[in-house]
Amino acid sequence: MIDRREQWLAHAVLGAFTLIALAPVVKIVLGAGSFATAWEDGNFDSYLRSSAIVAAAVVAISTVLSILAGYAFGLMRFRGEQVLFYVILLGLTVPMEAIVVPLYYDLRDVGMTDTYWALILPQAALSTAFGTFWMRAFFRSVPRSLIEAARLDGSSSWMTLWRIVLPLGRPAVLTMVALVFMWTWNEFLLALVMVSDESLRTAPLGLAFFQGRNTSDEGLLAAGALIVAAPVVLVYLFLQRHFIRGTLSGAVKG
Amino acid sequence: MSAVAFREVSKRFGRVEAVRRLTLEVADGELVVLVGPSGSGKTTALRMLAGLEAVDAGRIEIDGRVVNDVAPRARDVAMVFQDYALYPQMTVRDNMAFGLRRRGLPRAEIERRVTETCRTLGLGELLGRRPRELSGGQQQRVALGRALVREPSVLLMDEPLSNLDAQLRVQARGEIRRLQREVGTTTVYVTHDQVEALTLGDRVAVMNQGRLEQVGTPEQLYDEPANAFVGGFIGSPPMSFLPWDGALLGVRPEHVRPWDESPPSLLGPIEGRVAYVEALGRETLVGVRTETGATLVTVLEGRARLEVGEPLRVGLVESGVRRFGA
Repeated sequence: MIDRREQWLAHAVLGAFTLIALAPVVKIVLGAGSFATAWEDGNFDSYLRSSAIVAAAVVAISTVLSILAGYAFGLMRFRGEQVLFYVILLGLTVPMEAIVVPLYYDLRDVGMTDTYWALILPQAALSTAFGTFWMRAFFRSVPRSLIEAARLDGSSSWMTLWRIVLPLGRPAVLTMVALVFMWTWNEFLLALVMVSDESLRTAPLGLAFFQGRNTSDEGLLAAGALIVAAPVVLVYLFLQRHFIRGTLSGAVKG
Repeated sequence: MSAVAFREVSKRFGRVEAVRRLTLEVADGELVVLVGPSGSGKTTALRMLAGLEAVDAGRIEIDGRVVNDVAPRARDVAMVFQDYALYPQMTVRDNMAFGLRRRGLPRAEIERRVTETCRTLGLGELLGRRPRELSGGQQQRVALGRALVREPSVLLMDEPLSNLDAQLRVQARGEIRRLQREVGTTTVYVTHDQVEALTLGDRVAVMNQGRLEQVGTPEQLYDEPANAFVGGFIGSPPMSFLPWDGALLGVRPEHVRPWDESPPSLLGPIEGRVAYVEALGRETLVGVRTETGATLVTVLEGRARLEVGEPLRVGLVESGVRRFGA
């Protein structure tokens, strides 16, 4: 049993840390001008635009590729299927730190550094590794009889994917979109290495530079951090409404 | 409508021989039931006919055309799945129309067929609902409707009633029988339930360990089982077996009679003791354990006043005794 004094002490410690964590936020709320100042001083409109372009492209490319690859690995039998799948899985295990330097030289050789492509293509590739793994698991969970019924009804593989299987996978696809968006949005190292042009800088990178310039004003720093974090929170909240559970119920008698 | 033929068809899954040299013909418009215990190869045979499993050896013909290498959608077969496999995101109407649209039928024709099929199956008021808004029985009828609306050459059913409760199952069985007679579509029906097989099938094919044991009308299977497996599988309660003179005698419960009430034509007497008594109301099943260790089941009218362990002498009606190689 915890006695009353211990309980009081625990509450006091937790309360103190809560205050420390919330202080900058409170400061922004009290001085509402911090947002405007941070926005202008930090050049966040440009950073957010870059991040939005990169994140949208990465999400779009990796979603389409992951759905197609996941469908093939999940529901089709073909030669070399296992080996290929493990090769793709390697993409999940390699950290960005391990590839960023050789990648820089490769992209420099083809003249792609300091372009959006240097940020989009590597991240789309890494996200597709995860996405393929993720969508394959979903496709494997779809009752086989549903796909067979579609085949007997005269549906091609392509039609079965888009009309029968994928509508059931909305929660899986949206979860993947949210995760990939979040990872892409927060990606720092790749942007740091590949991009030196100020106009191409993404939000986390911009935030780092902003922090370097404003070390003393906590309210301003917190405002900058909130500006950068807000889109992820918004995307999550928006997609969460669409994470409809149990779309499969009623498909097959369990 | 079309005739179906399996000719020496075999299928392996790794080391397991799921179907061994199956030869079976289904006439145009006939309803044949494949029945057998689990692992007997009945579902594999059906799936090969549908084109969902490749054939390792032999030929499958639909209407005289070998379909071994024909894609499922080009075989013009429709299937009712055990779990119904309704498209969950589509309404009942769309579930039924999906296959027709894929075949490029004109809109008016699709509408006509869906309406017609729904009327036949009493699904009219459910057209706008999604599968999850339907009861099990309704889902089963929609699955049946989705297959029938296609007006396929061959209708395949894979244990379509196994998810229904007992009462609904009897009702649905009658409905399937009636519909099949009405539309006259050649039908292959798979079940593990021998009562379902006997009540539904024009003919019944009994399978065991991948082999076809016997095919015949329900009466033939019941009265003249080709071997002990069929005798033991068909009938409820099944045939009792008794080693006799180096052979195996099989006898149905109605052909085992108490010795004392017997006409002189009975074979016996066979001495035994009552092993169990099952009072079913109208009749009573009595298991008699003989001195050789075999158990004979007899059926007595009304309620029998017998105690377990009590000695009982029985005889066999000679005309009902089947002799099988031991």
